[in-house]
Amino acid sequence: MAVDVDERLERYADLAVRVGANVEEGQDVFIQALIEHAPLARAMTRAAYRAGARYVDVLYRDEHVRKAMIELGPDEALEHSPEWLKERWREIPGNANLATTGDPEPELLADLDGTRVGRARMKEVIEIARRGMLERSINWTGIAYPNEGWAEKVFGEPDVDRLWEAVAFCTRLDEPDPVVAWREHIARLERRAARLNELAFDAVHYRGPGTDFTVGLLPGARWMSALFRTASGREYVPNMPTEEIFTTPDCRRAEGTIASSLPLALQGDIVEGLRLTVVDGKIVDVEADHGAELVRGQLESDDRAAYFGELALVDGTSRVGQTGITFFDTLYDENATCHIAYGFGIPEAFDEVPDEGMNISTVHTDFMVGRPELEVDGLTADGKAVPILRNETWQLPE
Amino acid sequence: MQDRIDVYADLIVRVGANLQPGQTFFVNALPEHRELARALARSAYDAGASYVDVRYSDPHVRRAQIELGPADALTHSPDWQVERAGAIEGNAIASIAGEAEPELLSDLDQERVGKSRMIAVAERALEIQNDRAVNWTIAAYPNAGWAEQVFGEPDVERLWRAIAATVRLDEPAPVVAWREHTARLQARCRELDALRLDALHFQGPGTDLTVGLLPQSRWVGGGIETRAGIPHVPNLPTEEVFTCPDWRRTEGAVRSTRPLALGGTIVRDLELTFAGGEAVDVKAATGLDAVRGQLETDAFARRLGEVALVDGSSRVGQTGITFFNTLFDENASCHIAWGSAVLFSAPELAGLTPDETRERGANVSAVHTDFMIGGPDVTVDGITGDGRRVPILREDVWQLT
Repeated sequence: MAVDVDERLERYADLAVRVGANVEEGQDVFIQALIEHAPLARAMTRAAYRAGARYVDVLYRDEHVRKAMIELGPDEALEHSPEWLKERWREIPGNANLATTGDPEPELLADLDGTRVGRARMKEVIEIARRGMLERSINWTGIAYPNEGWAEKVFGEPDVDRLWEAVAFCTRLDEPDPVVAWREHIARLERRAARLNELAFDAVHYRGPGTDFTVGLLPGARWMSALFRTASGREYVPNMPTEEIFTTPDCRRAEGTIASSLPLALQGDIVEGLRLTVVDGKIVDVEADHGAELVRGQLESDDRAAYFGELALVDGTSRVGQTGITFFDTLYDENATCHIAYGFGIPEAFDEVPDEGMNISTVHTDFMVGRPELEVDGLTADGKAVPILRNETWQLPE
Repeated sequence: MQDRIDVYADLIVRVGANLQPGQTFFVNALPEHRELARALARSAYDAGASYVDVRYSDPHVRRAQIELGPADALTHSPDWQVERAGAIEGNAIASIAGEAEPELLSDLDQERVGKSRMIAVAERALEIQNDRAVNWTIAAYPNAGWAEQVFGEPDVERLWRAIAATVRLDEPAPVVAWREHTARLQARCRELDALRLDALHFQGPGTDLTVGLLPQSRWVGGGIETRAGIPHVPNLPTEEVFTCPDWRRTEGAVRSTRPLALGGTIVRDLELTFAGGEAVDVKAATGLDAVRGQLETDAFARRLGEVALVDGSSRVGQTGITFFNTLFDENASCHIAWGSAVLFSAPELAGLTPDETRERGANVSAVHTDFMIGGPDVTVDGITGDGRRVPILREDVWQLT
């Protein structure tokens, strides 16, 4: 029997394997996908074997099973981390990892008890995964799978073809040679990051509607593009698409107010109109038009969740931004515009061991702050402000 | 009024696996079974599961490995999979059958198909089963691909109705109907045990086979109990009574009477010749390489581990349908299995080393594959220790009381 092969899907999977995770011959390849993403997981499996993988290990998640647990299971099930799943995460370091996004039912958990939804996290598994990330020994990537439910959320109708077109544009699949197009794209982002590093700002200041926020930078943390290297020097691109330049801020130095500019999909629900107040590095007040309790619940996950882990700059040349689409998927929306994350920092921003200014937490949630009215300045050590973004246009020489 | 799928899930959880409050409930399923897996999760939490752990295995992922992966990884068992296989100890598990693309692997190199098994995972799971340390069950879920194979068209509803009839979902109280049914099968086992048969003799077109039995092996049907005393029904449906044969004493020829779905290919007209307990000659119209691949898994794969009797009152047999799925087809008809012994029938052998188990006449192997040898044209006699013949099946009718 022949298997139906969708050419576009195969090319997409190839891109994820060759550019994204950059799978090395002889590696094991781990894939985590929602069960609804099986066609992409299968295509990535084929692509990984074609790239020389020794073994491809696919693990499907089913949010409906998780929903049954939250709705009907005992309290102790909520934070249960199966031993075998911990074991699987211990096997990933040294190997490649691919994960998928594109929620087929973004509001599946919306009618459940929010406290139980918030508590339903496999903390021990997440902790082992985080430790693996800190070792920087995994070449990994995340990539989205267009599906009906996601298309419905984005367009108000299940137009998967239209969503596929947008995804193909954002990930440069529409280029004659996507691999070459990615190489050029990443090189441009790297040049921007290098310029920011030369300027060696002490802090960044955001100013716009509902936002007046200053956050300190760390001398040991670089600005970087999403071209990552493992400790052994293997390059990979952890997000596809990616349009951002980002760094790990000083978690001890943040002050002011922030208003998010786009809805945020979080734990099976949508947070809208998020507003944060920050004092001495910590988020001390959370308001939202919808879903504030989800964010509050997440910030209580551990004692460092309410501190900042990432600053990212995106300008109007972003392909994601150019689509004008709100994707309700962080992988996309965070690449449409500037964003900030609370929770875990980005260890890759440090050449050596991250210094104590990097935040360590079990959560990492990006939310969008960019919009045409947002002005972003770099502040030098002597207090001089240098414009970085105005009207979504990059102000530094390229 | 509950949905059919929820009634079915309750049957699998409460009768099949007989999940006990506080146990973890494991589910192994294909991606196409997800509606049932989700219903099982709800039902299991209702029944008091401490946690429901669903794992989907994807035949397309396996296909990619066989087609494109390195040969030395075909039998690779990831440590975490062995760990998960071991975690069922003391807990409950349901495995879901019903292949969505039964011929998915048929165009691949069949030697590689035969080799591609997670041997360490299978061994760990079998060890726990044979040790009676898990209450487990296998049940099926219909899908378009399977329906297409059975009926020549993707009539899922028709397949659903057939499955519902075989598992007694059409009864007003399926759980009560199952209690009566399992009691009847258990009575047959007591009857056969009382005869103290030394061998069974099957005779029919292409078949003249004598299967030596083990004195310490009892007949089992209508469910089993774990070591901790939890009764469960390992197969939904079940119509068989089975026992563990002596792996050294199978003689003669046997021809399969129904197609066998094996690792993504269909084996038709399988013919095996046994001498001194070992399958020394193998023929088949289709799927021969897949059978050979299995028989070469290890030194004991060529010897029998199960013999089972089914008569014409079987609900599966009565549908007249060939399901191309062992779970059903083996319950339509008498069958035998090559490979590991069903040690539920000889519990005193459980826990012995493989060598000790074999020394006592029960087979140990990494495979266990049932194939169907019964039907209206096949007579079955029991042979007692003193050579007396006792008719057991004639024209598919049970001859004992």
